[in-house]
Amino acid sequence: MEPFSVLFVDDEVDFLETLLKRMKKRQLNAFGVNSGEEALAYLKDHEVDIVVLDVRMPGMDGIETLRKIKKTNPLLEVIMLTGHACLEIAREGMEVGAFDYLMKPINIDELLYKLQDAFKKKSIQLEKIKHLEEVMISSKLPQSGD
Amino acid sequence: MAARGDFCNRLKSPRNFFSEPVEHSLRNIPYMKKIRHFFKNLFSSDTQPEDPENIEELRVAFKERYHNFKLLLSANNRSLEVMADLEQALRGDRPYDMSFIRSNATSVSVNVFRMIQSLHHLAPGKYAELNTRFNAIEKTVNAILKQTRALPTSRMILPLNALDKESAEVAGNKMANLGEVKNRIHLKVPAGFVITSSAFKRFMDYNSLQVEIDRKLQSIDSDDIEDLYSFSAEIQQLVIRSRIPDDLEEAIRGAWEDLEAENGGKITVALRSSALGEDAEGSSFAGQYRSELNVSYEHVFQAYKEVVASKYSLQAITYRINKGFRDEDILMCVGCLVMVDAVSGGVIYSRSPVTHRDDRVFINAVWGLPKSVVDGSVACDLFVVSRQTPMSIEQRMISLKERKFVCYPQEGVCRMDLTEAESLLPCLTDDQARQLAEIAIRIENHYGMPQDIEWAIAGSGAILILQCRPLKQIQTGEAETAASDPELRQRLIAGGGITASPGAGSGPVYLGDRGVDVLAFPEGAVLVARQALPRWASLLNRAAAVITEQGGFAGHLANVAREFGVPALFGIPDASNIFKQGQVITVDASCQAVYDGLIPDLLSRSGASRTHLMEGSPVHEILKHIGSHIIPLHLLDPDSREFKPANCITFHDITRFIHEKSVTEMFDFGKDHNFSERSSKQLHYRVPMQWWVLNLDDGFKEEVPGKYVTLDNIDSIPMQAFWKGFIAIPWDGPPAMDRKGMLSVMYQSTTNTALTPGVRSAYAERNYFMISKHYCSLSSRLGYHFSTIEALISERPRENYISFQFKGGAADTSRRLGRVRFIKDILEELGFRVQIKEDHLASRLENHDMAHMKKQMEILGYLTLHTRQLDMIMANAGSVNYYGNKIRKDIDTLMQESADRQTEMQKGEME
Repeated sequence: MEPFSVLFVDDEVDFLETLLKRMKKRQLNAFGVNSGEEALAYLKDHEVDIVVLDVRMPGMDGIETLRKIKKTNPLLEVIMLTGHACLEIAREGMEVGAFDYLMKPINIDELLYKLQDAFKKKSIQLEKIKHLEEVMISSKLPQSGD
Repeated sequence: MAARGDFCNRLKSPRNFFSEPVEHSLRNIPYMKKIRHFFKNLFSSDTQPEDPENIEELRVAFKERYHNFKLLLSANNRSLEVMADLEQALRGDRPYDMSFIRSNATSVSVNVFRMIQSLHHLAPGKYAELNTRFNAIEKTVNAILKQTRALPTSRMILPLNALDKESAEVAGNKMANLGEVKNRIHLKVPAGFVITSSAFKRFMDYNSLQVEIDRKLQSIDSDDIEDLYSFSAEIQQLVIRSRIPDDLEEAIRGAWEDLEAENGGKITVALRSSALGEDAEGSSFAGQYRSELNVSYEHVFQAYKEVVASKYSLQAITYRINKGFRDEDILMCVGCLVMVDAVSGGVIYSRSPVTHRDDRVFINAVWGLPKSVVDGSVACDLFVVSRQTPMSIEQRMISLKERKFVCYPQEGVCRMDLTEAESLLPCLTDDQARQLAEIAIRIENHYGMPQDIEWAIAGSGAILILQCRPLKQIQTGEAETAASDPELRQRLIAGGGITASPGAGSGPVYLGDRGVDVLAFPEGAVLVARQALPRWASLLNRAAAVITEQGGFAGHLANVAREFGVPALFGIPDASNIFKQGQVITVDASCQAVYDGLIPDLLSRSGASRTHLMEGSPVHEILKHIGSHIIPLHLLDPDSREFKPANCITFHDITRFIHEKSVTEMFDFGKDHNFSERSSKQLHYRVPMQWWVLNLDDGFKEEVPGKYVTLDNIDSIPMQAFWKGFIAIPWDGPPAMDRKGMLSVMYQSTTNTALTPGVRSAYAERNYFMISKHYCSLSSRLGYHFSTIEALISERPRENYISFQFKGGAADTSRRLGRVRFIKDILEELGFRVQIKEDHLASRLENHDMAHMKKQMEILGYLTLHTRQLDMIMANAGSVNYYGNKIRKDIDTLMQESADRQTEMQKGEME
């Protein structure tokens, strides 16, 4: 699989650091920030493929951050990762468009598989859009002379 | 890039790409025609030949569908795994807590929701009713998870005068019972008040502690003592650093002032934990929590927090987990009692705790505060008093009491060494012992059950009751004596002491001395310690037996050992020098003997069976309740008219329904498109076979233009493995086979569709493989038997699975059932999880690496061929045996071949 980049958002600094280290060892372009606000700011200036988002954070919480991300970057896949198992929040996250809702402690390989699956989904969406654009362009050209 | 970005912005979300492809701004633009055509191709079941221009689009469509299907399968797999975990937990082999239930219930719910989403992608709008069912089940499960206990009062302080045994919800059992003793039995107790459960809740809520505790609990492995240890330390720190809200502080101050007025001057107090659920019958929480003795006003708030924090001591956490208590249900009330500077004190058992045949009263006594009896740190006197009037002292065991604990005048407790003369003096007169015994019997009669009573004698000579609780008596069999067997006697290495908890256990010795040693304690070891300290309680669920040098059966550790059914022998002098670290010993606590080595006879005689601790506990009840909405499967037969969303009662039903429908949707989509690349191909293996193959994604080495696909062009790992097993060993009857050999048998059985009753759809009529590189789903009818095999085999062991389902047969019911059971046995030997309902068998194997999964697929291929028509011989025990042996032998051969091959491959790699 081609390399892809992931932004991890978590207010637990130690947890985040360890996770980033382990992800980098697995050849992933991994970046980290500590809050929802920082995540939105980061996404303005950087291209990433997937965001892994903690649910419970001081300031903007995970669901709110997810909503904002989905609004500005609908193709970005977001995985929720939380220490608070909660049926309602899980459900809300999935409805807003999260790719999955995972619970800590997470098996690192399992997380990696999820990231790969999410990236594949994103790639297919992009491919589809590319074709759609090609169709649009190719149909536009002959008709432009009408 | 700009064009793409622009386009993306018009989409609300990728999911809407499907449901609302036509955005307002795009409407009425000429090229929309083409775009509509694009979408039509994506989703229509139009069967006209495809425009070559659209083939690329179709490829993408197929790719996307397949990815959705794969996500659906992985969510299905995860749901089933979690359900199996929940089911296992329900059997109660190991303890679990609320966070286990909460995470797993959430995980099932999320994965079922993902399955529904994926199915909606595969068949938009077709199964909308599933959402209704999902919502209903989710709501129920969530409601059970969210149940909280309503507190009867919001008062944060109650005086002891206002309490009796009905006050347990407000004051905790310990303080409620003390109120009962004072106000109903009219015995003397210290004056005081209780800081209630409402106060505790106020404190926890004010500092948002429960949320943080739940979060940490979820992230730790409750089997891992190191995790628990650091969790315990962190939470206790957190509690102690928290702030007591002003209203609570004000209330405590008021109560203190009232108490001083009542007492006629300055006081110090004992702060005693009185948790809800503590001291209830059957779960004593003995010594799990902290008490602070001789506290002055200056430190009462800090001491309150320390007692509250002790709810998270290591032993209290393990105890709760092992006994199935919800963390949030244990509310910590704290009793505040005027301190009694005791001359002597101790614990009374109104009957013997280790045998119900002995109805004498047992009094343990020490000099000074009774603390050291309870924590097992000092040897104590024992007085045994007969309950027949007139009462007589039947036994007096006066120990060497090296020290005592007394109050400092201002605050705190001081440990004092005793002179030799003092240390050998009995701490009770016979008269006092008789008085104590009388009090014990009065309390026992009031409650109608044996009691465990803590008492103190003040300087004035007055007897004060500090607490009382039900005493659990252990039912033992006939009186046992140490073995008379001379061989056994030779192996005796220690004897005597006190049976703190009966039974026998064996294991390697672990010498425990410092607190941190609990981390290194190996499962199944015998704990040998100097003192019977309460902190050892956290090891009891892992210990085979306990031996200590000091401590009596009235201590906390003894209590917990009895509760957990762990044999414990206390009072073995010099034990930590007699036994060597790692030495295997057998402890016969009932007979007060310790032997070298393992003596199985003793273990079996003691009939040591650990109690199912979770059974009936609050957490177990919650899991049972939640499980009933998740685990049972009602939808069995996809051919039945009842197989529909409306009949999905549990999450399992939904997964079953979706899985079935997703396979059909995948199949139909392939079939309905006249897209040669993705239409089904007939398998060509030497001759054209009656097996069809549908390539979902990357199942072929190269694209197949024509009608047939040859076996060597199949690039599906599970299908190749299956086929290998299928052809490995020829079928040799009965019934008598076609002499042309195995191939024709396969050919015949698969063409004879006249034998196939109740044909449902094209998918079921023939033998179909749906494949990709790592996936294979096989649906086949061989004769009368309908079976489906599904497998995902890749480099991701955690996602690997094989599922095998089997149903039907031509013979009568009892023979059919016979065969299903026959196959069940074989599959279970291979490590499959098997369930049978009527003549329907469902089995699963998960999470092994690729090599192992491939082997199992081969064996299933073999079984698919060789178990057909076995029902014909099921009435005859002899032939059942014959085939059982043959099949097992064949499987061994298959396994051996794979093993050999692997070795060869490894050799090859080495060279």
